[in-house]
Amino acid sequence: MRNLLQLLIVLWISLAISQNKQVLYGMTDIPQNLLLNPGSKIPQKLHIGVPFLSQIHLNGGSSGVSAHDIFGNSNEDINTVIRNKIFELSDRDFFSATQQLEIINFGWLAENKTYFSGGIYEELDFILYFPRDLAILAWEGNSDYLNYEFDLGQVSTRGDLLSVYHFGANKQINNKLTVGVRAKLYSSMLSFKSTNNRGTFVTVLGDEDSPNIYEHKLQNVDMSVETSGLASLQDLTGSAELSKKLIGRAFFGGNLGIGLDVGATYDVTNNITASASILDVGAIFHTKDVESYSVSSNYTLDGIELLFPPLLNGEGAPPYYDDLEDEIEREVPIDTLYNSYTQLRPTKMNASLAYSFGRSLDGSDDCNCKKTDGSPARNQQAGIQYYSIFRPKGPQLAGTLFYSRRFTNSLALKATYTVDSFSATNIGLGLVADMGILNFYLAADNLLGYQNLAKAKSVSLQLGFNIKIDRE
Amino acid sequence: MKANSAHTYLGIFSLIIFFSACVKDTDFNQANDIVVSPIVDLDLIYFDLPAITFFDTIASIPILTVSDTTDLPFLNDQDIVEKLKRVEFSFRATNSIQREFQVEFQFLTEENEISYSSQIPIDQGTVASPVVTEYIENVEGEALANLTMAGKVAVSVTIPSSNQNLDGTIKLESKATYYLEF
Repeated sequence: MRNLLQLLIVLWISLAISQNKQVLYGMTDIPQNLLLNPGSKIPQKLHIGVPFLSQIHLNGGSSGVSAHDIFGNSNEDINTVIRNKIFELSDRDFFSATQQLEIINFGWLAENKTYFSGGIYEELDFILYFPRDLAILAWEGNSDYLNYEFDLGQVSTRGDLLSVYHFGANKQINNKLTVGVRAKLYSSMLSFKSTNNRGTFVTVLGDEDSPNIYEHKLQNVDMSVETSGLASLQDLTGSAELSKKLIGRAFFGGNLGIGLDVGATYDVTNNITASASILDVGAIFHTKDVESYSVSSNYTLDGIELLFPPLLNGEGAPPYYDDLEDEIEREVPIDTLYNSYTQLRPTKMNASLAYSFGRSLDGSDDCNCKKTDGSPARNQQAGIQYYSIFRPKGPQLAGTLFYSRRFTNSLALKATYTVDSFSATNIGLGLVADMGILNFYLAADNLLGYQNLAKAKSVSLQLGFNIKIDRE
Repeated sequence: MKANSAHTYLGIFSLIIFFSACVKDTDFNQANDIVVSPIVDLDLIYFDLPAITFFDTIASIPILTVSDTTDLPFLNDQDIVEKLKRVEFSFRATNSIQREFQVEFQFLTEENEISYSSQIPIDQGTVASPVVTEYIENVEGEALANLTMAGKVAVSVTIPSSNQNLDGTIKLESKATYYLEF
């Protein structure tokens, strides 16, 4: 328990609604914006990401607790603090972490005016819902909780480590509409999932007919864990062997899957632009190195019944304890299955509505024209964004207000204010700078949190370098 | 705005992000003070013996003591022993036999040496009105150290006298409350 707690805290520190890149979304000067909306407007005619440096994305958070909540300086005993927090959190609170590393990314404008882009990135995605009842049971025991039904269905977690190969096309259909699509091939290195569990554990006082003081009951238990890529790792020794195996899987050696991103941008008027995208509509088909465990049971434990059989000389007493263990194994069987399974990717949705205003970028005072690439003709934009990601216990949503401003041809900034499951005070800032053909960007949210990382419930950061040649 | 000042902004922004980030007002050493101390209630052993258990009808002689033994391997499991701070045993006997009983628990080591024992006197009852005897035994400190040397328990039930006309049953239920600290 203590180790688990420390692990969660470390996870939290090392690493918003996972995967929300609200600052990056809509920043057309950043080629990686195409991964958030394949139908985005594209000002460049060519881009090549600097290998391994074109996008580094870290994101971690917990919806209900910060490190400061637990370890903040106070006179209160830390065990009281933790106990209070356990009771304050609900089973819909969660800990999550996402990390992405782009290995390569490239794109070019073909002669038919279609912008093709592709690349490879690696992604780690993890979410654990807070199993409140199990935390209470572990922290307090069952002694003070007679008749309380501990809900085992609160166990809900999933984790994935995968590499993604993608290729997409983007085309400006007319001077109002740009659309895009991206195909993805997933190669899963590791994956586990335990969702849709149910069942309760309860200790009740026995009635007149009960053989013993209590009855410990497992009721309607139906739980499972699906893993892929984990079983074969248990035999490995040493990190060198492990990384060799994982790298092999990253290059199509893992369990494969396919997915699709689609998106569009539409200029409603000269000043108003709407955009939307749906990402990772797809699934991974786990067929290799699959191991699933499941348990379903209704069982009541009463203790050990002594029978006092008449024993002949030298004869031992019956093996009551071994018999009880056998009974539990028989009545609460953990089945190991090797069946293939299909796992849906967590689908994400983005949408935005932006209003352009301010100085005209083409130098004329009144802008009755659009730039040929359809990028904003004005130097400032303000608007709203919507984001959602499908999670085991339903979608997580985020809403963002943003303001972006282009200062020079080589520098643009965007500021965001986001409300999501983690906080209502999430301010983000993004910057993109073109230095010659070198394109650099940096985006971070929860800036208020950086004043004291311990108080932040989530942190998200993206940065990267590209070579980029703009259209004339 | 010139490109140079743009780069200045870039630098300032990066610096603000990366060097203003800090962790304040926290004391992670408190992690060493975290103690998880659950209190776990679990059924222990139980039996329900009819009066005839205490009379050998074939040889027509009383059986004044019956015994049975069960392993309790978790008691001396080192992982548990280190975390166990106190144990409270609760016994409840329901006796409808017209005799008092002595129930003795002898906790035995692997070498069958008694490391801890407990005697429970049980009041006599009748079939018409069974008598309930409750008994609580708290084990901590040195006694707990002795208890956790044992991996099994021998239970003996002793009746002062018996005949084939005795009626009723003696039922014993028990639970243990384990006070743990991790």
